[in-house]
Amino acid sequence: MLVAEGLMVFYENMLALNNISIKCGENQIIGVFGANSAGKSTLMYTLSGIILDQMKKEKMRGGEQITVMGEISLFDQDISSLKPHLRARRGIVLCPERRRLFPESSVLENLKIGAYMATKKEAKETLDYVLEIFSPLKKLLHRSAGFLSGGEQQMAAIGRALMAQPKLLLLDEPLLGLSPAYQQVVMESVKRIREMKKISIIITEQFARPVIPIVDYAYIMENGSRVMSGSGQELLDNPDVKAAYFGV
Amino acid sequence: MEILIYGTVNSFKLILIAFGFTLVYGVSRLPNFAHGAIFVFTGFVAWIMMHKLNLPFIPAALLSLVSAALVGVLIYQVILKRIRGMNMNEIIATYAIGVAMIETFRWLGFKGTTFTLPVLFEGMVFIGDVPVDYQRLMVVAVGLVMLVAVWVFTKFTKTGLALRGIAQDERAAMMLGIDSDMTATLAMALGSAMSGLAALMLFPLGSIVVEAGYNTLIFALAVCMVGGIGSWGGTVLAAFVLGFLQVITVSYLATHFQMVVTLGAIIATLIIKPSGFFGKHKELEERV
Repeated sequence: MLVAEGLMVFYENMLALNNISIKCGENQIIGVFGANSAGKSTLMYTLSGIILDQMKKEKMRGGEQITVMGEISLFDQDISSLKPHLRARRGIVLCPERRRLFPESSVLENLKIGAYMATKKEAKETLDYVLEIFSPLKKLLHRSAGFLSGGEQQMAAIGRALMAQPKLLLLDEPLLGLSPAYQQVVMESVKRIREMKKISIIITEQFARPVIPIVDYAYIMENGSRVMSGSGQELLDNPDVKAAYFGV
Repeated sequence: MEILIYGTVNSFKLILIAFGFTLVYGVSRLPNFAHGAIFVFTGFVAWIMMHKLNLPFIPAALLSLVSAALVGVLIYQVILKRIRGMNMNEIIATYAIGVAMIETFRWLGFKGTTFTLPVLFEGMVFIGDVPVDYQRLMVVAVGLVMLVAVWVFTKFTKTGLALRGIAQDERAAMMLGIDSDMTATLAMALGSAMSGLAALMLFPLGSIVVEAGYNTLIFALAVCMVGGIGSWGGTVLAAFVLGFLQVITVSYLATHFQMVVTLGAIIATLIIKPSGFFGKHKELEERV
């Protein structure tokens, strides 16, 4: 469904993404692994179109020049120049790094804001669904989102993204700062979301081990370039990868 | 007793004046320095509709509110959209528009004290032994209705929730499909209409003068800065603090010290707590 070809992103003359091509089929989970500054977040911003907003604001401010090249298509339609909110309307919803919940709003209100593009019926159904897979949120609905723990925030953030009725859900470092127990919970729920909602998911993460069991295909990035790709098993079998990304 | 009643009325007057400004800034980080000009503009438009087009007060008032909202939309679509994100330029541009609007009215001959809007209900009541005219009670009532309306709008409607989202984290809201230009346009329309509503409520207490444009802007700024710019709760609280301060000044000192106290409050806020009662300095966005 999503095909990105030859993505290049420059911040001034620093190359953040170097000729990245990535594909995601329907109902697939794709993993993107890499250390800090490998370009994972930049890739997510490029796919979701946020980079265009950054570009516009930097240009207006006369700040650093951001250059974006390459083509992105969704369901065979070119979306490379679409603004982020229009891409969201076509079904690409990003659940950003560090979650970025609306801190002054309650959890319920966060979910409601997420349902901006949904019909009343969809919103209600998705809300029930979110509370079913993330049952701890039920007790926190009226707590303001800024006061949640990391794991709770991540559940709320994924829930909020689901409320936007994504066809392709982008999860940028969803395990960042979570305890192993919560990592397990989040990964289990991602799997369930794929099975029940029949959507595609792209996950980025620094540390591949908790994610690799659920991905269909994965890419490994280093300094903005793709260094390797393959199915989860192929990557697990590769000794270099093992040493660098699985901590074995 | 007198201070209590007139202080409350004056506080709601400030809420009416300042809330539109704080709404626009809170939602879209746009400082609308044409706020005071839109205040005067609405007053004159209502007057023109009544006296040149012979409309009754209510339709004239509604039409003038619509035109205030339109001015807000135009300012955003024609100018602010292009310079968004550069605060100094936004201030200079909107202030210039404001001055141009106000001075155009002066140039067209709208000066002196001959321009008045009628009050909605004639008469007065005694609260205890203090006489209060209906128009001042209307100021309080309309102020309350406006606050409740904004609260309901931002809590229970999809568009209102979108405004809350954009106000807290613009990019996170974009990722959910909310259009930042749309919300900013809407915020400008609402904020300008609120300024217009303030004008329609307050001008009947005196006469429409162009200078009111500048005073209104200063009052709005003072309330917003003391309360924490962009914070809605802070604005209401600051309106009460300043509202009562002004009334106390008027009854114990003299009327012309009102402005001194207002400006003094800005300076005191800047010295003691620059972000105001509930203001927050947003952290600089981290690099990706």
